[in-house]
Amino acid sequence: MPKYAMVIDLQRCVGCGACSIACRNENNVPDGIYWSNKITETYGTFPNVRFHYLPTLCNHCSDAPCVKGCPTKAMHKLDNGITMHDPDKCIGCRYCMYNCPYEVIYFNWQDPHKFWRNTRPVIEGGTSSPREMAQKANNGNGTPYSNPARAKTLPENRPKGVVEKCTFCDHRLKTGEIPYCVEACPADARIFGDLDKPDSKVSQLLGKFKPFRRKERLGTEPNVYYIRSYNPARYERTKGGI
Amino acid sequence: MKAIKIQLWYGLLWLGILLGLLTAYRVLISNGFVLYAKTDILVWTMPIAAYVFFSLTSSGLAFVSSIPIVFGIKRYQPLEKRTAFLEIAVLMAAFTCLLLHLGSPWNVVYYVFSPNFASPLWWLGMLYGLYLIVLLLSFRKIHKAQVSKGLGIFTFIIAIATSTALGWLFGLPDARPVYNANFLAMYFPLTGFASALSAVLLFSLAYHHFAKIPLSEGDGNLYDDLSKLFGVVMVLTLIFFIWRTIVGGVSASAVEFAGFRHMLGSGWYHLALWVGLVIPLVLIAMPSVRQATWGKLTSAALFLVGMFAGRLEMVLSGLVMPTGPKAEGQPPFVSYWPTIWEVFVFVFALAVMLLIYTLGERKLKLAEVPE
Repeated sequence: MPKYAMVIDLQRCVGCGACSIACRNENNVPDGIYWSNKITETYGTFPNVRFHYLPTLCNHCSDAPCVKGCPTKAMHKLDNGITMHDPDKCIGCRYCMYNCPYEVIYFNWQDPHKFWRNTRPVIEGGTSSPREMAQKANNGNGTPYSNPARAKTLPENRPKGVVEKCTFCDHRLKTGEIPYCVEACPADARIFGDLDKPDSKVSQLLGKFKPFRRKERLGTEPNVYYIRSYNPARYERTKGGI
Repeated sequence: MKAIKIQLWYGLLWLGILLGLLTAYRVLISNGFVLYAKTDILVWTMPIAAYVFFSLTSSGLAFVSSIPIVFGIKRYQPLEKRTAFLEIAVLMAAFTCLLLHLGSPWNVVYYVFSPNFASPLWWLGMLYGLYLIVLLLSFRKIHKAQVSKGLGIFTFIIAIATSTALGWLFGLPDARPVYNANFLAMYFPLTGFASALSAVLLFSLAYHHFAKIPLSEGDGNLYDDLSKLFGVVMVLTLIFFIWRTIVGGVSASAVEFAGFRHMLGSGWYHLALWVGLVIPLVLIAMPSVRQATWGKLTSAALFLVGMFAGRLEMVLSGLVMPTGPKAEGQPPFVSYWPTIWEVFVFVFALAVMLLIYTLGERKLKLAEVPE
């Protein structure tokens, strides 16, 4: 059984956000929910300032606190290392959100894609209503541009009152495809593979560069690794002074 | 005149329940949780604070009702039946809050079909379910004037298990060290006991007032005794409260404690400290006030108000500081004020509790002393 992991090369990442858009399209992620997200930080004072960009997603921790806390095993580990969620068993207690140190789990506070339930035409007498559009294009299921492939392992659109998060595109892995954020990255900054295979690209990169993971001190053993960092700045060699 | 007052009281309680049912419909079926002041950062707010408040008070009431059975202190026996019934009513209020906190409450069937024994939330759910059954059995025995020592001891043990498991639940995540599991496992039963003592004083004295039954000398001595015990437990609570402030708010430097340091300046914290602890303690410390019925009632009521604020402050202290990707575009600390729908959840729970209690007081002779 593989042990899936992702390596994010921060030197290649340009912070374009294509991963987040691809994720949203592939997984029918509703507004306000971010399976793929980022942390941006600014350091220094003008003119000596730097901007840092760290792409984030579920870390699929080997010792996941969200899995430990879930009372009904709705949040559970698959044999391939993926932290998966079953909305049919979710009671909506949000204890996984409370337990997750990485803030990557989201709750459906209301009906997802609510706009597409609206029965008022955008232009009275001129256009159809969002509901009619969704009905014609996709049997009223979510949005007109909803991806039906997502329904292989999760409901195409998760209902109100349950949590959701990144699944490493487990539905694509089943058909031999890599996660869509990896596929869509124009800079090849995301590398996906099996950590149990020594010759896999992820294993090779982790052997070549000193990786770091988010909040490693917590012992959750994340399976999303970061390598290198983008910094073209130069400075004059100096010992400083007082 | 009396009948009109009773009808008015029932009317108020049913109004509270109707508001609660409307809230349940809008939150669980039509609008969703957007009606609450919850965000991706404040995932737990007033309904869960109210749940903690009621459930710990119920566990504390089990400690009070166990005093004659478990510890053999017979002079507390007159309180036993009312306290045992109050435990059930207060627990139902806790369940009401929980129901309106859960996004998909109908999926709780998976507690049975897909249990996770590693989860404190699973244990808490099962323990509270068992607790309700034991309380019902226990009250049935008391109502039939048959006191069961075994059942009384079992209730006491489950009350300890539930209140300490709630500490485990809050303290599990390493990411939120501000909820120290070891600390809460002691603080929760203690404050639950203090809340229970104030509830017993409040409800027993209210019974004498509304039923127009003057306090006998024995009753008077019992309530004086109880208010002294209440004072001692309040002192202990204040000591814990101050140490929590010193350790988490002053000496701790870890970034995760910043939320608690922020809460030290909040109204909820000061309500808990001054209105909930300092003022009632000063009142109870004065013998003339302590012996007066109004003094007992005022300090008990203030303590409960402060304790509720304290539960909310505790829940918020681990959540108000946004971290990670959810901190994008957010201020360093998010503010919280409950929406009217969250207030209705509390009103609903209170109305359920008071309706059950009023029916019990009228039909089940709660002032009876079991043999």
